[in-house]
Amino acid sequence: MQTNQIRQSFYQRYREKFGHLPWYKRYEFLLPLSLFIILLGIFLPSGRPSNAIGWVLICTFIFIVLLWVVGVLTDVEKPRWLRAIAAFGLIFVFGFSFYRYSGARWDLFTKTFLNPSMMQGAWSELLLGLEMTLKLALVSMLISTVLGLIIAVLRSFKNPILEFFLIIYIDFFRAIPLIVLLVFVYYALPFLGIALDPYLAAILAVSLNYSAYVAEVFRSGIESIHRAQVEAARSLGLRSLQAMRLVILPQAVRVVVPPLTGLMVALLKDTALATIIGLPELLYKGIQTMIWKANPTPLVTVALIYLLVLLPLTRFSSYLERRSKKWVKSAR
Amino acid sequence: MGEERQVMIETIDLHKYFKDQHVLKGISVKIYKGEVVAIIGPSGAGKSTFLRCINRLEEPSSGKIYIEGVDITSPRVDMNKIRSEIGFVFQSYNLFPHLTAIENIKLAPVHVRKIPEKEAEQKGLELLKKVGLEDKAHAYPDQLSGGQQQRVAIARALAMQPHMIFFDEPTSALDPEMIREVLDVMQNLAAEGMTMLVVSHELGFIREAATRVLVLADGCVIEEGLPRQLFNNPQHPRTKEFLSKIL
Ligand SMILES: Nc1ncnc2c1ncn2[C@@H]1O[C@H](COP(=O)(O)OP(=O)(O)OP(=O)(O)O)[C@@H](O)[C@H]1O
Ligand SMILES: [Mg+2]
Repeated sequence: MQTNQIRQSFYQRYREKFGHLPWYKRYEFLLPLSLFIILLGIFLPSGRPSNAIGWVLICTFIFIVLLWVVGVLTDVEKPRWLRAIAAFGLIFVFGFSFYRYSGARWDLFTKTFLNPSMMQGAWSELLLGLEMTLKLALVSMLISTVLGLIIAVLRSFKNPILEFFLIIYIDFFRAIPLIVLLVFVYYALPFLGIALDPYLAAILAVSLNYSAYVAEVFRSGIESIHRAQVEAARSLGLRSLQAMRLVILPQAVRVVVPPLTGLMVALLKDTALATIIGLPELLYKGIQTMIWKANPTPLVTVALIYLLVLLPLTRFSSYLERRSKKWVKSAR
Repeated sequence: MGEERQVMIETIDLHKYFKDQHVLKGISVKIYKGEVVAIIGPSGAGKSTFLRCINRLEEPSSGKIYIEGVDITSPRVDMNKIRSEIGFVFQSYNLFPHLTAIENIKLAPVHVRKIPEKEAEQKGLELLKKVGLEDKAHAYPDQLSGGQQQRVAIARALAMQPHMIFFDEPTSALDPEMIREVLDVMQNLAAEGMTMLVVSHELGFIREAATRVLVLADGCVIEEGLPRQLFNNPQHPRTKEFLSKIL
């Protein structure tokens, strides 16, 4: 009788939130958590363990944390804040155990890889490199987009002979690794009487490579527009290029923009390969300063610069993708 | 008959194959200026294919087609010029979804006829008024009902001031309450003397507006006549069978 009443009051207190759940569901997660804390406090060695038992304890600890976190994260009925805590908890536990038990020499690590004094005089070099990277990327983006668009439009005419050559072009430049293409354009073309400086060679190689990808993206965009649209346009007397320009492409672009921005992000990253032909872009400058300083901090800085430039771009491309999904839905 | 009537469309022994499938089996018809010709017939008879061959959205396999005296099966003919004189209204409207109603309408006049933007806009608004949609000029197709979209599509076809208009089942994708508004527009056109070729099974419309009915079955014209005469007293057994199904 009495326990029943207690249970009843518990139930009433949390009914608003968890009306359909028994009361203990809300607290069951505390049990394993307290278990970890006991384990952490009493059993875990405070330094890098010297024997197997220590390692077993650590692994068991991490394993239990994992189980608990997975249990919480996959339970959609758990409140959001709890799932957030579980996720951050997991990151913390991994970070903490790595920090404590990996045997890392943190002081040496920072001195070697994150040493601000090694950046003295290096910034201007890296900025020059960044400028070159951006120049190469922008020019190649422009050329490959225009070239890819032209190829896709030509393919849409379904002329068998033209299509045969275009498919060869696309397949060839999609299959060949960019780094090989760079080396070929820079070192082999001079033998054919075409000598390009590293900048032009890089632009040529990157543009050829990416125009093939862009062409495929545009082709799928064009093909996603229903044939009836072309027929409606042609029935009005529009020539086929006009139908393409005024009716098909404006619709295809909405479909194409998200994957296209994705490609452009990849292009920007791939410009780093031009290092191999000695183009003084960001990675090249990073390696150069690394050698000059005899310290890898500049290279880490280069990595951070790439991140800084690329992260907004990847965010932007995801945003476009979400927006285009909404468009496509509302168009149906 | 005093004056000779102008022949707008003439097909002579028109055949169409899709791979091995013989869809049109020798169609010969003459359509005169100002006629409203209804084409009826069972599904798969080749009605759509016939219309689409006449403006070469589909390539005819053999036979001759003359539009206002010009042989359009000849390779030298400027098909875009011919098509710009023929309005085509599709069953599924096929408006351009990225353009507003008025932009849909003025696209072809501006880019094919090279009419100045302002003038095309003016004409377009007049046409929208004519189909009862002057307040929807800046709506996108997905903001319009089916009946409204089809009326915009008709206005779009009219904007080219075509010499004839083809309709391929313009109302069969529409809800019953919207059919009337589209048929009214078509009926007005017919009354104005537009040459029209209409695939439709709206018998009320055919009775009132059509000057002639063609019955197409299995790729052949099996019967033709005045609407009343054909509906009341069909000759061919297949026509009888078909009419008994839709009446
Ligand atoms: N593009 C095409 N490729 C292959 N076969 C086709 C094509 N278009 C039509 N057909 C075939 O041609 C035949 C006639 O089709 P069509 O669309 O002209 O008939 P319809 O009389 O308009 O019929 P419905 O009343 O159903 O619209 C059908 O059997 C169809 O399968
Ligand atoms: Mg049809």
